[in-house]
Amino acid sequence: MEKNVTITKKFEFSASHRYWREDWSEEKNNKEFGLCVSPYGHGHNYELYVTVGGQVDAQTGMIINLTDLKKLVNKILINFDHKFLNLDTPYFRDKIPTTENIALVLFEQIKLGLSSLSGRLKLSGIRLYERFDLFAEVWEEI
Amino acid sequence: MPHIGLGRIYWFSAAHRLHSPSLSDAENFMIYDKCNNINGHGHDYKLEVTVSGELHPETGMIMSLAELDRVVNDLLKTMDYKHLNKETEFFKNHIATGEIIIQFLWQELNKRLPRNLLYHLKLWETNNNYFETGRKNR
Repeated sequence: MEKNVTITKKFEFSASHRYWREDWSEEKNNKEFGLCVSPYGHGHNYELYVTVGGQVDAQTGMIINLTDLKKLVNKILINFDHKFLNLDTPYFRDKIPTTENIALVLFEQIKLGLSSLSGRLKLSGIRLYERFDLFAEVWEEI
Repeated sequence: MPHIGLGRIYWFSAAHRLHSPSLSDAENFMIYDKCNNINGHGHDYKLEVTVSGELHPETGMIMSLAELDRVVNDLLKTMDYKHLNKETEFFKNHIATGEIIIQFLWQELNKRLPRNLLYHLKLWETNNNYFETGRKNR
């Protein structure tokens, strides 16, 4: 039977965000988003686990060279690290930078980056910790 | 479309004793060893709860975190700082192994959370052993 192997690398970035909908009353924003409505944003040290699947290269014994993965992911994270996600990135103009939405944006970007690196690589999933007790996960069926 | 999950970690501390009424004392001790200690023993359990589903178009969330916390904490309150065998209804007649505790948690949370959202549970009994259940197929 064919065995699946994946490799996971951890990354870190720090950013601030704010949950707020202009089309909602202050009361509704407060009720739905609680502390996250704080007017100037608040921040977290995010931890991102990136899991890549694919065939193990017969010569190198690796799915992906981790130096390549590091370069690829860091190039994406540089736009998130030490930024206010609502204003300093273009992704959250029309959606709330919830853990779920940030993870979805990162997933699509890393997936795109991997496919341009090699057609044989598959982003099997990512896990984004916003705090030690809270994470969002994105994956696609293999 | 990729799938999205939200995971949250909770803790509770409880005592238990592993002892099967259908086995002799000697057999119980042979199988459960130190976990059969007559006066019980305890653990700090850590529970990872993952829900998965569509994002709400306005909030960008799978479900309200406050609501998830309320549902999970309501359930864990019945077990936290309790002797499971003696002080919880379910474990008066079920053996409180990690396997059965996680099945009990799945059944209860699945009942209490919005339909079909519960996706995965991971229960650490100590730092070195954990149990998992759910719909994960990876």
